[in-house]
Amino acid sequence: MTSPGDAAPVKPPPSFSPGVARGTSKSRYPDEAESTHSIDAELAEARSVSSPTPPLSATTAELPIRSSSPHARSVRSSTPQLARSSLGSPFDGRFDGSEDIRSLIIRAFSPTVAIYASDDTDELVRNKGFKGGFWELVRPFGDTVSGKVVIRDSVGSSRAWEDYGVRFVDLNGFGRTPAGRESGQESSLTQMEEILEQQLESAEGPFGGSIPPKDALGVPVASPLWKLLLRQILSATSAAPHETFGHPVASVIAISSRNMAPLETLRQLYGESSSGDKRLPDWVNSEYLRYYVLVHDEERDDITESTKLYDQMKRHFGLHCHLLRLRSSQCIVTDDDSVQVPSCEWLSPQERLSGVGEAGKYSAFIRQLETNNIAETLVDLGTDGTPYLFDSDVTAIRTFIRELMVQSVIPFMENRVAVWNDQIASRRRGISGRFMSVGRRFMTFGSGSRSGATGSSGGSGNYDPTNNFYGPDSPEAILRKMADFAFMLRDWKLAASTYEMIQSDFKNDKAWKYHAGAHEMCAVSMLLNPLAMSAKIKLESVDQMFENACYSYLTRCSDVPHALRALSLGVELLKSRGGSATESAARWAMRVMDFGLVGPIGQILFTERVSACYASKISMGGAKWGGRRRKAGMWSIFAANQWLKAGNPTLAAACLEEGERLYGDVLETDGVFPIPEMQTFVDNLRHSVKVEYLGARGFDTRDEPASEDPVLTDETSEKLEKIDKRNHRRSLIGLPGQLDVGNFNMTSGTRDPENSPNDDFERA
Amino acid sequence: MAAPRHSAMLSISNAATPQSTSSDRTQAPQQPQSPAPTQGLRVPSNRKTIYDRHLNRSRNAESSRASFAYLFAEMVTYAQRRVTGIQDLEKRLNEQGYPLGLRLLDLLFYRATSTSSSALSSSSTSSSPPNRPLRILTLLHLIHGPLWRLLFQRSADALEHSVSPDTPNEYMITDNDPLVNTYISVPREMSMLNCAAFVAGIIEGVCDGCGFEAKVSTHNQPTEMWPSRTVFLVKFGDSVMEREKVLERAGIK
Amino acid sequence: MSYYFTILSPTDTPIFNIAFGTSKSGGDGIARFRFPDTAQYMNQFIIHSSLDIVEETQWTNGGMYLKHIDTYPPAAAYISAFLTPSGARFLLLHQPPQLPASNSSSLGASSLLGASGSTTRASSSSIAANPTSPQTEEAVRQFMNEIYESYVKTAMSPFYKQGMEIRSPVFRTKVTAAGKKWL
Repeated sequence: MTSPGDAAPVKPPPSFSPGVARGTSKSRYPDEAESTHSIDAELAEARSVSSPTPPLSATTAELPIRSSSPHARSVRSSTPQLARSSLGSPFDGRFDGSEDIRSLIIRAFSPTVAIYASDDTDELVRNKGFKGGFWELVRPFGDTVSGKVVIRDSVGSSRAWEDYGVRFVDLNGFGRTPAGRESGQESSLTQMEEILEQQLESAEGPFGGSIPPKDALGVPVASPLWKLLLRQILSATSAAPHETFGHPVASVIAISSRNMAPLETLRQLYGESSSGDKRLPDWVNSEYLRYYVLVHDEERDDITESTKLYDQMKRHFGLHCHLLRLRSSQCIVTDDDSVQVPSCEWLSPQERLSGVGEAGKYSAFIRQLETNNIAETLVDLGTDGTPYLFDSDVTAIRTFIRELMVQSVIPFMENRVAVWNDQIASRRRGISGRFMSVGRRFMTFGSGSRSGATGSSGGSGNYDPTNNFYGPDSPEAILRKMADFAFMLRDWKLAASTYEMIQSDFKNDKAWKYHAGAHEMCAVSMLLNPLAMSAKIKLESVDQMFENACYSYLTRCSDVPHALRALSLGVELLKSRGGSATESAARWAMRVMDFGLVGPIGQILFTERVSACYASKISMGGAKWGGRRRKAGMWSIFAANQWLKAGNPTLAAACLEEGERLYGDVLETDGVFPIPEMQTFVDNLRHSVKVEYLGARGFDTRDEPASEDPVLTDETSEKLEKIDKRNHRRSLIGLPGQLDVGNFNMTSGTRDPENSPNDDFERA
Repeated sequence: MAAPRHSAMLSISNAATPQSTSSDRTQAPQQPQSPAPTQGLRVPSNRKTIYDRHLNRSRNAESSRASFAYLFAEMVTYAQRRVTGIQDLEKRLNEQGYPLGLRLLDLLFYRATSTSSSALSSSSTSSSPPNRPLRILTLLHLIHGPLWRLLFQRSADALEHSVSPDTPNEYMITDNDPLVNTYISVPREMSMLNCAAFVAGIIEGVCDGCGFEAKVSTHNQPTEMWPSRTVFLVKFGDSVMEREKVLERAGIK
Repeated sequence: MSYYFTILSPTDTPIFNIAFGTSKSGGDGIARFRFPDTAQYMNQFIIHSSLDIVEETQWTNGGMYLKHIDTYPPAAAYISAFLTPSGARFLLLHQPPQLPASNSSSLGASSLLGASGSTTRASSSSIAANPTSPQTEEAVRQFMNEIYESYVKTAMSPFYKQGMEIRSPVFRTKVTAAGKKWL
């Protein structure tokens, strides 16, 4: 596997190391020195982002070392830098679409910031059309922090991320949901299924569901439906004691300029959030950052007053303050500088379901899925109640979030990780890494809440078995929090080693959910860490960890959403690893189906995913073996069969086509299977897919020809352009007129052109 | 890989003469009773079909050289009908040998498996079944040694690899005095002809059966001592060479 | 335990098929697959898909018997393979009997937290219960060797050419007998 990181060992010879190289080039090519430098800088810049063009450093490694071109030299000289800055993304571009999913997964574990706004602030925002108040206003903008976010890891090297995000939660609602968790779990799964159903129904019609998009080579990337499911799986789990991802890293306390007694209100809000009835549950560490925001009403209040107040705030509360200037009137679509509020990416299944009717977030989401179809978006605009904001407001909010994250939250987290690592983790590593039980018995940890006497039962005594959680100050809980922080800061190496360290503690304490969580995240962070795990042994240990996590979650704790999350993460990350890991990925996907963790539609999506996993295993080198084309094809065909049974011939057609493409390589003649029963099955499937597809289309065209036609021609013309590039493509989705025998690449007589659905269509 | 060859073979296997000739050498007594037909199965009076007979029974049986020479002569005559030239004739002989190669392969391994003293490799003393050849060299050793012994009761005389860097896929197996040519004198105007093309076909069948796509041709290279010395030139296909590289890297012997 | 045995030619054409059940430990020798009888294609899909693995293993393992090479977890189907030197593939799909308690694990509705994943890992060492135990491997190996002998005899026939379907009833009887004897 060639990753940019791997390319690092090919070091430039001493004479070309950065300093020297530049010196010589200056003296020899004085006029080119400038340009060299700028190219250098540009390159470094380009690479330091998530770098979608992989082979750059790889190609530099292959460049002839004695190249006399100044350009080449400059590339070489910057290699070490590149190697380091691109550590995080070794797979970019290698597997199409997997980078996308990877980013999705990473962003799913963003730091959480709780929002606690005063009543006057919420009222101000409600006037702008956001019923949920300040939280609802800022929430969608947290999905991506604008610009790059630079994070330093535990060894001091920094890396810039473009896709960093933050999850805003409402402090009012925090920790209340877990009360009814037992029922909530089951329902979140049914809700997930419901959403998928709605998505399918709403997309039925001209497009008949979301057809998996394909890249230029005709290799399908992850289907939108799958991404929707994955996103839900990742957001279905609410804050829980055993992991701190949902716990607030910071809390934003907001007041508005309308407030009469601003400082008092702030104090009061602070007090409520830390001790009053708005206090967080016991299992949440109360040591989190407080951030104070003054929302200034541009239209009704005086900015000088607000500035004065802001200065006062800064004096009282330190640097973690922000002045947010918003206009208080509601923006409507016809306003000059109106900007549509982006839809929120991380809605829990429940929110997504309830949001469908009123807020229009959902329909916005659907439109996002169908991005190809711009015309429809334009037509629909404004009819669904999507909120709008003034351009200036959007800019202000983005700036606020960026400042919040870059200047306060991330440094805070970096600092906590460093402190905990120093005080707790490194001591643990040093001694008890080797003598765990001894270490546990006699160490005294930094945070003095421990009561000294430890149980002799092998457990540390910090675990509260009746309520099933560790006190937030216990070293176990802090180590877990530190690992989670490191994970959210994308320092996967530190995270993995920390998770690994605490696994056995949880096991000794029989804290099974913690145990499961540590195994899950340890495996995930090992898979995310691009440099770890080159050996195959590691892959086995990762498998073992998922096995443990899955067993603890399911059998010991009956926690389906978490188990589902763990396994889905495993599937996706193993798949993106390529090679033999893809087979593990497929196996885990099958386990999900076997355990029945998802509903009927989810089952089909996982079936498709198994196919995708196998398809991504490609044959090695010049050899013809090593691929899993037959398996991939088989699962695709099964998926097609299931879609058909589920009454969705369009998706069935897409799967069938994909299956035939995959089988194309291994069959002697296209579409002809050597085994008769398989042939019969596939023939029948083709036939019924075609009949149902045309049947469904036939009705559509007769009922509402006008609404469909422009769209249809649009799509076909686009397809026709591409058709020469994809010779394997036998589209069922294309022009209905083409849907005759020829398009199916059929061989026997079951499908004569005269069959009735086709006739119907002609008449219509 | 083998499919086109088979269709070409149809007429020949129907004729059955050449086949039983060659089979005679290996398992003469069994062939006449073969009960392949599906309906109206004729079971011999002693109720024993070929499936009930032991395959190794004829292991050490020998057939008369005279009858072999006669049958082979008939084969050449048969092949010579309606041919357009020497190349065509050699091609026909080759095609007659090909299915024999496939069969010998199975028989060879069967016998090596079922008898503890391995016929395949002289060094191996264990009773574990022999391995299928994965690399070119093991395959060629198999042909050079055990296959030749099974057919002619002696090993071939030389096994060489082409020294030219342009043709790393060419190997040569030399037989100083091929049995098939012993009683054949080729007319002057056909001096290029070498009837050992039949053996070349056998080799091709063995290579193909093992998954090594190859073309085998015969060349007369007489010396003073061995006037009918024949070189079998084995040319492996590109896919084989590519696979060879991969296996080399993987360290598979 | 139910078995589905197929011989595939080098071009993946099936030349012999048979389904049978175990005769050991009171089995009646009738195959009971987890798919309905109308879905026999499933066996073939699974076997066909395991050719991916056969083709890979074939070049790393020089033996003729390649052992248990593939599993299709949704149906708990295990595939063992035997490769003749001339390229014919003997593939045996074996499927442990479905425990009455476990849900139909393959597709469609299944209960949450189904215990079906563990049904195949019954601790018994008898062939019928554990498809990956050494005993099973050995039994399958014996079975394959016996078939190989019959196959060689078939292949030696001048009326048989490679890739042709094997229609001989004697051959079928032989396979059935070998199945009774070993599996």
